[in-house]
Amino acid sequence: MSGRRLNLGLVTGGALVGVVVAAALVSFVWTPHDPTLVDAAGKLREPGGGYLLGADKFGRDTLSQLMVGARTTLYVGVVAVGIAAVVGTPLGVAAGMAPRSRGWLSELIMRVNDLVFAFPALLLAVMLGAVYGAGTLTAMIAIGVATVPAFARVARAATMQVMVTDYVLAARAAGRRGPAIAMRHVLPNIGSLLIVQASVSFAIAILAEAALSFLGFGTRPPTPSWGRMLQESQELLFSTPRLALWPGLAIALAVLGFNLLGDGLRDHLDPKLRSARGQEEPC
Amino acid sequence: MRRIGIWIALGGLLLGTAACGGGSGGRSGGTAAKESLSVGFVAEPANLDFTSTEGAAIPQALLVNVYEGLVKLDQDGKIQPLLAEKWDVSPDRRTYTFTLRKNVTFTSGAPFTADDVVFSLGRVRTDWKLKIKTQLDVIDKVDKKDDTTAVVTLKRPSNGFLYALATRLGAMFSRTGVADLANKPVGTGPYQLGVWKRGDSIRLDANPKYWGTKPAVSAVTLKYFKDATAMNNALLTGGIDVISSVQAPESLQQFADPNRFTTVEGTTNGEVVLSMNNGRPPFDDKKARQAVRYAIDHKALLDTAWAGRGKLIGSMVPPTDPWYEDRTGDYPYDPAKAKELLGGKTYTVKMRIPNLPYAVASAQVVKSQLAQVGITADIEPLEFPARWLDVVFKQGDYDMSIINHVEPRDMGIFADKSYYFRYDNPEFGKLLASADEGSEQQQSDDLKQAAKLLSDDAAADWLFLFPNLIVARKGVTGLPQNAIAESFDFTGLAKQ
Repeated sequence: MSGRRLNLGLVTGGALVGVVVAAALVSFVWTPHDPTLVDAAGKLREPGGGYLLGADKFGRDTLSQLMVGARTTLYVGVVAVGIAAVVGTPLGVAAGMAPRSRGWLSELIMRVNDLVFAFPALLLAVMLGAVYGAGTLTAMIAIGVATVPAFARVARAATMQVMVTDYVLAARAAGRRGPAIAMRHVLPNIGSLLIVQASVSFAIAILAEAALSFLGFGTRPPTPSWGRMLQESQELLFSTPRLALWPGLAIALAVLGFNLLGDGLRDHLDPKLRSARGQEEPC
Repeated sequence: MRRIGIWIALGGLLLGTAACGGGSGGRSGGTAAKESLSVGFVAEPANLDFTSTEGAAIPQALLVNVYEGLVKLDQDGKIQPLLAEKWDVSPDRRTYTFTLRKNVTFTSGAPFTADDVVFSLGRVRTDWKLKIKTQLDVIDKVDKKDDTTAVVTLKRPSNGFLYALATRLGAMFSRTGVADLANKPVGTGPYQLGVWKRGDSIRLDANPKYWGTKPAVSAVTLKYFKDATAMNNALLTGGIDVISSVQAPESLQQFADPNRFTTVEGTTNGEVVLSMNNGRPPFDDKKARQAVRYAIDHKALLDTAWAGRGKLIGSMVPPTDPWYEDRTGDYPYDPAKAKELLGGKTYTVKMRIPNLPYAVASAQVVKSQLAQVGITADIEPLEFPARWLDVVFKQGDYDMSIINHVEPRDMGIFADKSYYFRYDNPEFGKLLASADEGSEQQQSDDLKQAAKLLSDDAAADWLFLFPNLIVARKGVTGLPQNAIAESFDFTGLAKQ
């Protein structure tokens, strides 16, 4: 690891993500104003004074809303990606490790995956919202479920590569069982790929949550969410465009940050570039 | 692939509204542009049969325009003759003799006679499936005296009878024209159904055989939009000529240019009600309900949630009803009093609202204001109409809700204790019954008292009266100032 130069994308991505995370963390202990307090006197307050970015038509401070919105965004991203990783990775690893005699298992897992893959995340979320009531939880679950196939595919492909290496053959010859090989050899070797996949999925989850909140199927009012801030600013687009500008910018930068982070991590963790460390020793 | 897919989806969302407006713009600019008008609406009817399907969208499109009744409501809420030239009421107020207009024909060609009156009013009891049809239960019998005279006998005197005839309940149907009401309406009105493109629009063509003043425009297209912004953009780009009801009042500034647009602002029958479930804790306690009424700053709510458009009323009676009284003084904004009434207790309540713009906006203000006095309201927007009607309206599984009650003279819903308010006060029912039977003065007195009783009991809170906000392209005339009947009256529309 040491001695390699960090690339620009990774640094920029890390910085953008850092800002979002910092804003979210700070919002737990401090925001400039109560983000949900309606104040008729401060309706559409111009930026300035104690209100750095102004206020919306309810007189709520835009900056405070953005900060708490960052919290919502990260929360959705973490849970959705968590669901996808926890469900998708074992499925992919199992499919990748299935011996030829049990090829049907691999086929079954991957075809079911294809089925879920064909289903748009937004549609699934709207459907779940209609049945179980819209909310952050249903949005997270829907986005998570829709992201499972991405993890399963990446995990399967990487696992298949690992399974033909010499050290896995050696481990098998030594009588190691499947689960032990998976934990000891497969997971550590595909981990970097999964981290890259996670950061990319995170960006997609942020967009999906914003889109759902925009449509009214995401985070419930009045909990601030970047998507709903955009939606509420729609009718004021011509008179007070800044209300749409800030949440739009926040979404764009957060998504850019996670994508850059993902790309940077991929370059950084690419096994082909890992000449210094060499491959794992068989045990 | 996946990433691109979602980018496109989001891009589509943000740009979709503009695209919709542009798309419809191309279509309406065809031939005969001078003689046709298109009007944007928010809810499309499920079908065209208002005798069996609930919902305000059907009479909004068809009543007065396609179907006519014996009488109709004018812009001030007064009853005016329509298919009946005049009517006489017997001294005991139980017999109404209607003299019908001559030379009136249905669009099918059949003549309109007293037989159709007997048929149509009789059908209300036998074939209609709406809840409101009980309003005509007061009819004892309907007789034909001669071709142009119909006599209606009531079981008891009723002030509400003639008014009910001005609603969809009084619409006149042809004996040969009721086979396919859902798709083929047959009426006597100035318009007839042209083309119905489901999911998009309904075109009404002028009826060439109309008995009265023929409409100035040869066709009116009712265009349906799911999204307020899409409708705004359609007007900006020339896709439609009129927005029948502005759903995003802050956006009115876009239409401020008097050289391009005309704005009409009037009143409606729509009371935006903050309903509270009187049948279960905590709002089975009158003090808790009163606390809510004191805790809400109605002026601030109207200013923020609906751009100050609308009127504060404080009761279930709109200003266009003769027995209207300003009841906003009953519960002035007083958070200290609210806290006192709550006695230091705090509550967490379910606020299940329809996912409609005014409800979502108002709910956030209500939540913020209730939080100041110790009531935590969890907002849960439900899909409207299906889910909200099922969960809140039918099952009554809610603590608070917000909905615009648009039906005319609808204070009576509080007399039904199975209605979702679960309000139960026999005194209120008695007042309504005596109002219906008594003299006009008695009616007015009783209804004023009934409205006061509701307000004192804090059976609900009345956030504001929904405004009638219409925006039209400059040159469109004859727009209704007030939306107090069930229909959007196209008969006076013209384009210069």
